[in-house]
Amino acid sequence: MSKIYALVDCNNFFVSCERVFRPDLEGKPVAVLSSNDGCVVARSNETKAAGIPMGAPAFKYKEIFEKHKIVRFSANFELYGDISKRITSLLTSITPRIEVYSVDESFLDITNLPIEDYEAWAREVRAHILRYVGVPVSIGIAHSKTLAKLAAEIPKKYEGYKGAFSFVNLAPERRQAALQALPVQDVWGVGWRLAPKLRAEGIGNAYSLANMRPQRAQQLMGIQGRKMVSELNDVACFGLTPEHEAAKSIMRSRTFGEDTNQLHVLEAAIATLGSQAAFKLRREELLARRIGIFANTNRHKPGYKRWVHEIRLDMPSNDSGVIISKLINDLDEVFSGNHPYHRLGVFLYDFVPEASLQTDLLGKVDPDSHERSQSRMQAIDVINNRWGRGKIRYAAEDLSKLWQPKHQIRSPRYVSNWNELPEAFIS
Amino acid sequence: MSYEKDSIHEQEGVSVHTGFPNPAADARLRSLDLNQLLINHTASTYFFRVRGSEWEDIGIFDGDIAIIDRALDASKSDMVLWYDNGPDQFKISALRDLPPDAIVRGVITATIHQYRKVTRHE
Repeated sequence: MSKIYALVDCNNFFVSCERVFRPDLEGKPVAVLSSNDGCVVARSNETKAAGIPMGAPAFKYKEIFEKHKIVRFSANFELYGDISKRITSLLTSITPRIEVYSVDESFLDITNLPIEDYEAWAREVRAHILRYVGVPVSIGIAHSKTLAKLAAEIPKKYEGYKGAFSFVNLAPERRQAALQALPVQDVWGVGWRLAPKLRAEGIGNAYSLANMRPQRAQQLMGIQGRKMVSELNDVACFGLTPEHEAAKSIMRSRTFGEDTNQLHVLEAAIATLGSQAAFKLRREELLARRIGIFANTNRHKPGYKRWVHEIRLDMPSNDSGVIISKLINDLDEVFSGNHPYHRLGVFLYDFVPEASLQTDLLGKVDPDSHERSQSRMQAIDVINNRWGRGKIRYAAEDLSKLWQPKHQIRSPRYVSNWNELPEAFIS
Repeated sequence: MSYEKDSIHEQEGVSVHTGFPNPAADARLRSLDLNQLLINHTASTYFFRVRGSEWEDIGIFDGDIAIIDRALDASKSDMVLWYDNGPDQFKISALRDLPPDAIVRGVITATIHQYRKVTRHE
């Protein structure tokens, strides 16, 4: 029996989260900005209609913001994370066969659920989430994940579908009409890079992509393109991805509160980010063979510059001390010249399992020093786990607030701080 | 998962008391949990700060915490959270006193009045 997937996608998720506690903003234009560089990361339908694009730098659109009285929030990730968790828990009670794809999207495998009318079922799920949590969702249902994701776009465009659309058991002519109405860039995996290529081939909507010759799709877009075409024809190529996959790389980055060229601020940031990344690496029981730093000036100011510096470790490591000191040693080379750095990041990749050190790498390792490093790291992790992250840190780790992101227009932490609860007036 | 008792058995020279079973050895034994007492549905429960002193005679004070469950249907003795587009945003009232245009957003299942702040050193 072929699989049936549902994609549950929260509508304008961050905006919807803000509206749970600000019902007065229902029907009004709202935008959520990234907490540090002021780019638009979520828009209400009214804000989209006003012509604010996704990712727009806020300062460039100041006039439109003012003209349409668009209410702006700085991202309140504690709130969004909490609401996301609530929705996941409701969905998990429907079926444990769930893949939380992102903070606002989950795939459910509903093949074995006793459902007669898929759209009616989806509308019930939607009403349940709206009632319990307060966030509207769109639900798409199909025999493949790609089609389910596409199906979820339809009720967002046409209110008449009341939040749900199913490709399962759909009459061929209705299926064709639905696919023809969806531009090709709405297909999962197409995006802005491939869409022009496809349009050059005369493929402008999902229907013509579904009817593309698989060989041609592969020539143009690689094996993923071939799978994409199969999925659009009800042949599932992707199953649910299990909850946890081992990380392939770890990256930690921050934007400075104010641009800086001060070496000690950069050092402090590297130390903090480096120890966060190394902590994650130790928790995954991995060692990194390559580490690096990157930095850039403000993308929206003239003279934008970007630096990447990579170091190959002679001995794979997950030791905060080793990683931080290697990165800081090379700092002078990387940060020459007097540039106003805006963002800085630390990355670790090319991992090997900790356990493999005893076998295939044995010749190269000084087992004594590795052992010492391991037990020091364990001690740090135990203390940080018990007393909260950051209680024990390397001396260079930053204590100043200079590079903490700004939160001027963030909404209260309604669900994560007892001092910021929403108020209810006796009446 | 290994059971603590087994590991004691394995150690030589340790005598193991085999009378009444130790109830604390059951890892699933749970201590009282206020969440279990006060929360019906974790996904639909939100906390609100009560504002106003009109309800002091029924033991609800300004600054108390109201536990609101959006999942419950209000019945006539309930107090509810509602909203009417006014400047005060959210209001709480007895269900029977609601104006006709009120949009109900949940039922108050409990209020918390703290006599002393909790101070933890963790």
